[in-house]
Amino acid sequence: MSKEVKKLEIMKTALNLFAQNGFYTTTIADIAKEMEMSVGNMYNYFHSKESLAKELLIYTSKIFGDEIKKINDMNVSTEEKIKEIVKLYFNMAKEEPELVDYFMRVYLSNKEIFSNGCEGMLCVSAFVTEIMIFFEEGVKKKELKNQDFFAAFGLFMGYIGGLAFLFREGILGKNLDEYIEPVSENIYNALKA
Amino acid sequence: MHSKPKVFWIDAVGCNGCSHSFFNYPEIKELLNKVELLYHPLLPSPEFKVQKSDILIIEGALKTTYFPRLDFNLVELISELVKLSKKVILLGTCSVYGGMFGEGVLFNKQKEGKFFEFKEKMIALPGCPPHPEWIAYVIEMLVENKNILLDKENRPKEIYSYTSHMGCLRNEYFEWKIDALDFGTKEGCLFYLQGCQGPFTHSSCNRILWNEVNSKPRAGTPCFGCTEKEFPKKNLFKTETFMGIPADIPLGVSKRAYLTIAGIAKSLKNDRLNKRLIDENN
Amino acid sequence: MKITKKIITKIEGEATLKLYKKDSLIEFAEIEFWQYRGMEEYLKNRNYMDACVINPRICGICGHSHLIATSKAIENALNIKITKKAKILREITLGLEIIQNHIKWFYITLYPSVKEINYFKALEFSREIAKIIALIAGQFPHNSYAVPGGVTCDLTNLEIIKVKNFLSKMFDKYQEIIDINGKSEDLEILFEDIPKETGKGINKFLVLGDNLYFKSNGNAEFIKEEDSISLNKNVLYKGSFYEVGPLARNLENYLIKKVYEKYQDSIYTRIFARLYEVNLIFQYLLKRIDEIDINEKNYIKPTKKSGKGVGIVEAPRGSLIHQIEIEDEKIKSYNIIVPTQFNLSNGTKESPSPAQASLIGEYEKQSDLIFKCFDICAVCVSH
Repeated sequence: MSKEVKKLEIMKTALNLFAQNGFYTTTIADIAKEMEMSVGNMYNYFHSKESLAKELLIYTSKIFGDEIKKINDMNVSTEEKIKEIVKLYFNMAKEEPELVDYFMRVYLSNKEIFSNGCEGMLCVSAFVTEIMIFFEEGVKKKELKNQDFFAAFGLFMGYIGGLAFLFREGILGKNLDEYIEPVSENIYNALKA
Repeated sequence: MHSKPKVFWIDAVGCNGCSHSFFNYPEIKELLNKVELLYHPLLPSPEFKVQKSDILIIEGALKTTYFPRLDFNLVELISELVKLSKKVILLGTCSVYGGMFGEGVLFNKQKEGKFFEFKEKMIALPGCPPHPEWIAYVIEMLVENKNILLDKENRPKEIYSYTSHMGCLRNEYFEWKIDALDFGTKEGCLFYLQGCQGPFTHSSCNRILWNEVNSKPRAGTPCFGCTEKEFPKKNLFKTETFMGIPADIPLGVSKRAYLTIAGIAKSLKNDRLNKRLIDENN
Repeated sequence: MKITKKIITKIEGEATLKLYKKDSLIEFAEIEFWQYRGMEEYLKNRNYMDACVINPRICGICGHSHLIATSKAIENALNIKITKKAKILREITLGLEIIQNHIKWFYITLYPSVKEINYFKALEFSREIAKIIALIAGQFPHNSYAVPGGVTCDLTNLEIIKVKNFLSKMFDKYQEIIDINGKSEDLEILFEDIPKETGKGINKFLVLGDNLYFKSNGNAEFIKEEDSISLNKNVLYKGSFYEVGPLARNLENYLIKKVYEKYQDSIYTRIFARLYEVNLIFQYLLKRIDEIDINEKNYIKPTKKSGKGVGIVEAPRGSLIHQIEIEDEKIKSYNIIVPTQFNLSNGTKESPSPAQASLIGEYEKQSDLIFKCFDICAVCVSH
């Protein structure tokens, strides 16, 4: 097994453990144990929990970024694209909840551990760049209102992130899929030109 | 060369700024000694007469409505002169693209202009005004019968392959995405908030400098893209953005690449450049 | 009566002069401008800041005056005050524009209509003057460094020292052209065969700007534009024509006054005033530059978005007026009145404009010189 593949496996394991037990309580030793590796060997792959956390962030951001890029490249209206992004996000939240969980909860609520080398957009640029392109093209095609980037970004991501959170907490009355349509419509109505 | 090349300089619809810019060329006397000046709108020259020339220099734009020049209708006069000349230098944005006063001789903004059929003998020197060294360079090259490499719009590559961003003193601020929040500061890049068009404007202003000492961005004024087809665009002191993303980005990169690098640069704070450059307290 | 129509070139742009003669003397003159560029229309509906880029391009030789007048008009409309530092810097660049203008005018426009001259010394001089402007404003011609609220540059003492030393050097050099006592070899040579009393005007003077050391003697409210025989409009002050320009604004200077008392408002006095004014501007700027406080702000951001305003400056050729109406940051209307309009209006035989009056009663062969004495800017007129 190549080092890269092994690294990926460790990251996926860590994702699971972070989701189950929380980021702070999970230790490198816990991850090693789950991987059936020695702690010493683990350090060959990641120097610290922080460096693992950073790589995970780059990894998850790239997954989202790649998927949104596919949507950006589609020859459809911005309204359609919004629906595709919402669908993508909700599917991820259902099928890879630990990934979404990590992205939303660990990254956004533990900013201090990312202060050294992962500031601002540094580790999430793959994702943010695609979101920027999405917005920019929407405005250029005169389908979205021209406004401050973060005002639009917050409305979009905060909204779908919030729903994913409610879903994870088991509070949603219906299946997440049933929210794709109304949520997309609300976002489009709020952002349209 | 047996005799000096004959130069005919005519002013169409403009402001004479191209001439006044040329007057600032330090070796103007030596340069003009190499040619025979048949006519110039300001400098002493023989009496005006429509005649053959080796180099015709046209300054200013064309108007489709009647515009008199030296008892001619301007467009007819230009037509005569162009036909009687071996080479034509289109001096300034007005002459090349039309600028603010009308149509250009070679182009009408994005489209082909009235005298497009004579493209082969034309050399385009856009700029409002063009830099005196550019004018001198083209005249010298023609006098010495040297080949001038031209781009698709007949602009000399040795001038217009550069962007006015190249050599800008605010380059470090551009690299680190630190914006000038107001006018009147040494610090900050003028690209994001003040409308600076330097990264996508073809010109060597910041490479050779104006009047040998300065440039607009160095003096805190954004580049207005005065060498470009659409000059003067609207809202010249504001960068057009779509959801905060600049509508025009540096030449040669994809928007995706630019946004990635810009986002990263902005995330990595440059402490030195985020402060006032000269401050008694630090 | 014989009528001669001639196109006057080698001025900024061109003008048509119609001379009505009896014998070889001019009985009456009409001045026509047939070019029109539509600047005021072009400005409409644009953001007011755009005027700072467009208006300098009204003219290649005095565009900086148009820039300053633009910024002043907007500042007046939006209630903006600028710092003393910004004011002094504008005085320097505007003063220098006047200087480069006068020297080009004397040696390139005026002199060759009488005698041959090595005009390259004028270009060398004006090039150095343009360099000083560029040190502050970025470039010359066509900079936009004076914006509503101040200036865009942020000089260090290095540039200020350089500007100051440069000013001193050029002031010294200017003494070869006309010295501080008013002695000028080139001027005397020019008048070897021309009577100094030639070309008297209407002896009425108006100064509306108060930049540099100039003192206004009127109020722009009394200005009226009216249609004329060609595309340019006549300009009247309280219903009468007035002469504007260097002679009008320097009559308090004792040397210029002395010449004026001897030759009245003849072409000689007009030329002398224009040449000598350069010395006075140099002196004034050298004094003003020491008053710059480097720590003052260069720029204060405007807050108001609508208003009506007027900007007046004494430009190279006299009082220049810009009037603007701004609505929600957009230009609703713009009007420009240039000095050449004052001096070259078309009046009647009984009530002629300054240029007409100075031509009447003179020989046709002198008409070129008399006319060019007003330093005509046809480019500005056809704005």
